[in-house]
Amino acid sequence: MTQPLDNLRSLAYFGPELALSGAILLVILWDLVVKQARVAGALAIAFAALAVSAGLSVQAIVSGAGSRGLFNGLIAFDGYTSLFRILIAFVTAMVLVFSKPSLEEKSAREPGEFITLLLVLTLGMNLMAASRNLLMIYLSLEMVSVISFVLAGFKLDDAKSSEAALKYVVFGGVASGIMLYGMSFLFGVSQSLNLSDIAAKTAELTAQQGKVPGAVFVGVVCMMAGFGYKISAAPFHMWTPDVYEGAPTAVTAFLSVGPKAAGFAVMMRFFSEALGAVHDARIAGTVVDAAPWAILIGCLAMATMTIGNLSALGQDNVKRMLAYSSIAHAGYMLLGFSGMSKVGVASIAFYVITYCFMNLGAFLVVMAVAEQNGGDETVGAFRGLGRRAPVLAIVMAVFLFSLTGLPPMAGFVGKFYLFSALLETGGTWSWTVAVVGVLNSVISLFYYARVLRVMFLEDAVATEPTTVRPMFQVTSLALAVPTLVLGVYWSPVYDFVVRSLATVR
Amino acid sequence: MPATVFLALAALTLVSAGIVAFSKNIIYSTLGLLGTFLGIAGLYVTLSADFLSAVQILVYVGGTLTLILFAVMLTARIDKMKVSNPSGGIVPAFVLVALLLVALGTVAAQTAWPSEARPVMPSTAKLGHAFLGEYLLPFELGSIVLLGAMIGSVVLARRAVKRSWEKG
Repeated sequence: MTQPLDNLRSLAYFGPELALSGAILLVILWDLVVKQARVAGALAIAFAALAVSAGLSVQAIVSGAGSRGLFNGLIAFDGYTSLFRILIAFVTAMVLVFSKPSLEEKSAREPGEFITLLLVLTLGMNLMAASRNLLMIYLSLEMVSVISFVLAGFKLDDAKSSEAALKYVVFGGVASGIMLYGMSFLFGVSQSLNLSDIAAKTAELTAQQGKVPGAVFVGVVCMMAGFGYKISAAPFHMWTPDVYEGAPTAVTAFLSVGPKAAGFAVMMRFFSEALGAVHDARIAGTVVDAAPWAILIGCLAMATMTIGNLSALGQDNVKRMLAYSSIAHAGYMLLGFSGMSKVGVASIAFYVITYCFMNLGAFLVVMAVAEQNGGDETVGAFRGLGRRAPVLAIVMAVFLFSLTGLPPMAGFVGKFYLFSALLETGGTWSWTVAVVGVLNSVISLFYYARVLRVMFLEDAVATEPTTVRPMFQVTSLALAVPTLVLGVYWSPVYDFVVRSLATVR
Repeated sequence: MPATVFLALAALTLVSAGIVAFSKNIIYSTLGLLGTFLGIAGLYVTLSADFLSAVQILVYVGGTLTLILFAVMLTARIDKMKVSNPSGGIVPAFVLVALLLVALGTVAAQTAWPSEARPVMPSTAKLGHAFLGEYLLPFELGSIVLLGAMIGSVVLARRAVKRSWEKG
């Protein structure tokens, strides 16, 4: 790796974040000054900034720009960051599309502020993916958390929304407190906030003691509280169902994909750069170094999958069910990581891409259905949807099949890569985790199938066709197409992921 | 001498933290925070972090604590709140915390923490240089976080004001 760049020279590689920061200020100003087309203009600014962020990142990957440390090594500029930047920009753009109708209503309050806050979140998530310093990890995580609290409580005069925001704040405070405590252990041992210094010191002590030093282990376990909270992994998942149910659906869709992707990004970088635990491929000798982390992540993965899937079984509210399902999916992704291999990182990055299509799509359908049923988000609202709104029902079926992981959907391919990354590493432990994962996939079929049965096999009280906003139909179709296509022809996307991860260190 | 000072400060911090956690009266809990904040500020001084210690007193004692006191006193019936998810009992909590304490204590005692000679006391200039040099990025990002938090809190607060005004 080359020498980290200083502040001024880093700016050339900091385009996406500069564009987002500029857009944040512009939207505030626009909202303040302009009277006509306030929302449309603010949206246009936001979309432009997101396009710049994604475009520059695509260009960086395609041109094969080398890895660099920016701002004296605080953050990284590499294919890994760029890949997540593209994903994050896409998710934010989709969520802006989702919330466009409600923002443009006359009764909508603070649409400008909503867009501003969403852009701040995007900036925070970009930085999460890029952080290679404990201070930056903490700052970017807090940036995302603090703004998410506000967005969760954004729904007009809704007690549930306020409850969601408050629960989010309390859990978030506890999680980041524990994480800071863990960071203090790591800093105490290595006397540095820099991930590479921590890696050097850990390697030195591990070689001396013949095992991972206790202080590093405690530090990492505590830091998992912060990461686990962001990706909603057990035992830090408790906020998820309440927040997902209470928050406005567009925000829920965002929270279930965006911060989760960024959380995985920062976690995987932490394990790879601060612990040196991620290997090219598992060779006989390296098992010892990675052992405690593989077991730690494996345990979290099994607990997360099982809790998520079992709790989802009894849910009547579809949003709540999808919340538990998103916990389960965090478990599957952790499963891919518990092999601690670079293939695992690539498989998670690919899974996040597929997950973002199918999960955003599922929430969009919930949003469209709830809008037609006076805000009813229970399974009952989906009754007879197959007859009343066939397009929406079929699209929803695609998303649910994909979430279950059935071929020929994108979810199947994603899950296939996760499991094969785990099994490639071999050993009894990997097989145990994989078996638990397969059993969980079977359980998940039950609750996804319940929605399908209600949609297609049960008759609704009302049989007349439901009118769905054309915008919702178009967007949900636009999300269903990649969910299907990626299930049959995924190699270009997977190659793109592998290629962008190749420039990391 | 430094050991006695440290022990006294640690005792002040821990005892006040105990009051915060165990007092039945929320006002006492709030006032207990005063001792914790002051104890921490003292610990910063023993660690030659004079600027941080001053900031601790200015921001936490002068600002945050006052705000919390206002919030506590202005909230109606705050001490009659119904706890919707009660805790699982004192005994399991005690056992868990004791186990955690033993585990953390063992690790902390066994680790050979690196130590170095203390730098010279006035640290303000160094901090200033760090913020405008090596750590410029987090310094600037902090302002974006604060901007977002300010907008967010205004949004939430304005909503609450509108709501009570509409009902009244």
